[in-house]
Amino acid sequence: MANFETKVGRLQAENDQLRRTLSDLCERVVGRQLTGDLPENFLEQFSQLPDRPLEQVLRFLPARQVAQMRHVSRRFNHLIRKCSKTMPKRERIGSVLFKRKYSGKLTVKWFDDNDSEILKTTLADDVALSELFRFIRIGGRIFFSDGLSAADDVLDQLSKAWLTIRPDLVVFSGDLSKTSRDSLRAFLVKVEPTIRRLLFQNADNIGHSLLSDDVIGAAGRLDGLMVLPNGWYWAKDANDVVSDINIGDDTLLSMAEAGRVSSYFCVVDCSGITPGGIRAFIEKWMKQADTYAVAKSIRCELRCELIFCKCANVTPTTVEEACGDLLRKETEAGTDQNIFGDSIDMEERVRYIAKCPSNRRLEILFHFYPFLCPFISPPGLNDEDSDLD
Amino acid sequence: MIQLCSNDDPPVSFTVPRKAVELSKTIKTMLEDLEGFDMEQTPIPLPNVDAPTLELIVKWVEQHQDDPPPVEKPRVEDDDSDDSDADDDQEPEVVIPEWDKKFLPTDDEQKNQLFKLLNAANYLEIKPLLDIGCKYVADKISGQTVEWVRDYLNMENDYTPEEEAKLKEEIAWAEGL
Repeated sequence: MANFETKVGRLQAENDQLRRTLSDLCERVVGRQLTGDLPENFLEQFSQLPDRPLEQVLRFLPARQVAQMRHVSRRFNHLIRKCSKTMPKRERIGSVLFKRKYSGKLTVKWFDDNDSEILKTTLADDVALSELFRFIRIGGRIFFSDGLSAADDVLDQLSKAWLTIRPDLVVFSGDLSKTSRDSLRAFLVKVEPTIRRLLFQNADNIGHSLLSDDVIGAAGRLDGLMVLPNGWYWAKDANDVVSDINIGDDTLLSMAEAGRVSSYFCVVDCSGITPGGIRAFIEKWMKQADTYAVAKSIRCELRCELIFCKCANVTPTTVEEACGDLLRKETEAGTDQNIFGDSIDMEERVRYIAKCPSNRRLEILFHFYPFLCPFISPPGLNDEDSDLD
Repeated sequence: MIQLCSNDDPPVSFTVPRKAVELSKTIKTMLEDLEGFDMEQTPIPLPNVDAPTLELIVKWVEQHQDDPPPVEKPRVEDDDSDDSDADDDQEPEVVIPEWDKKFLPTDDEQKNQLFKLLNAANYLEIKPLLDIGCKYVADKISGQTVEWVRDYLNMENDYTPEEEAKLKEEIAWAEGL
């Protein structure tokens, strides 16, 4: 009998312990959301809900309204900002253009696909650039235009984790004297999933240490790269270096797998490019299976253009020595037209064309002419305020 | 069968088929952790759920106990400092089934009951129920003004005029696009 009572007592104790355990478990789960004694009027207001259902409600709203809902209360604003990566965002393609006049204010313009201006704002001192873009999914083209529009503070804002920036083209054509390698690299990492063309187009102050294979490499696989420091066109000869661009064979080789119908690698003043690197590029490009398959499946010609202007180690002679067996040489002379349509005498141009069995064409040129280059005009070029202060 | 107890005094008990109650991830995990105990004899206390809400929960899980399990996606923890790129991971579209439309306490005077149900669905981790409840609230406030939303959700404007002005400037940009 005593044994039986002991057994009952033990079972009762186990049962009590189980009840406490269950209760503790429940409270532990609840602890993340609500704890303690619940008031009589528990949950009389929507705002007393834990974060998760609130977030879920906000995620189901149309993108336009999510931003408006930040006005409702501080808590809504905090929640929406906290979850901005996964909140609905407005989809925008077209072009975004940044300008920073030397007075220091950053102007942001948005253009539609037809390059018509949709919106323009000049940032107030206390409004962060990243806040403007927090609930917009940016696609299309980004232009860092006049002045210090691509300075570190701008690139750092655009590299914020919560922003969704998915351009296929980025053009730097302003002053890069306040742009550091780290900021540029972080920005290129940010846009890496979608960027296909990266242009430094008449950019000022491209410091020797700014561009390098690893910085450009952060942008991933590109179909177009152009590096033209401002003033390149006026350089007297090959020895008149405007800017010593620190890009080498690694960047060139990484572009051999470009999959577009048209791809290009156009650089000025890159002493790191070697004839050996060009040979490696040609061999890799010719073996590129994907491009070969694309070339066979379409009727148009797949074209790849390499332009080396004033690159110390790349001249027609050195290229012919290193890759002559893979290339066919052509020369052109006579007259040509400049960008204004005027006839001009043209010095003899040498070009090499890779011998390729499919309808693919690889050209190597040594002269940069504006009308031959893959220049991209920024939108709103004729705006009345396009000039700097 | 499993017994669930509300937080009322005295508690109100509901007996629910195990299959139905396991639509709650919280309770399912608890039952798995306590495998070996005779859970049919041990009521599970739910300290955050009152009797009317628990009754709704029981009704919903019994109705949906034979539904195919929802596809689980890992929850993305949002944090500004987190560098992971989750921006393509948008919420899938949720359609409120006809039965659920009638089930949800949608009258304005039942508004607080709806919020209690959302809270309970969140606490018990019944994602499909949480989704349809949140979708209903989102549809209700969609297209409404900020003032209307504050009124519907019983929320107060706790901004200073300066904070509102700054916010307005940030938001105006997105609205213009």
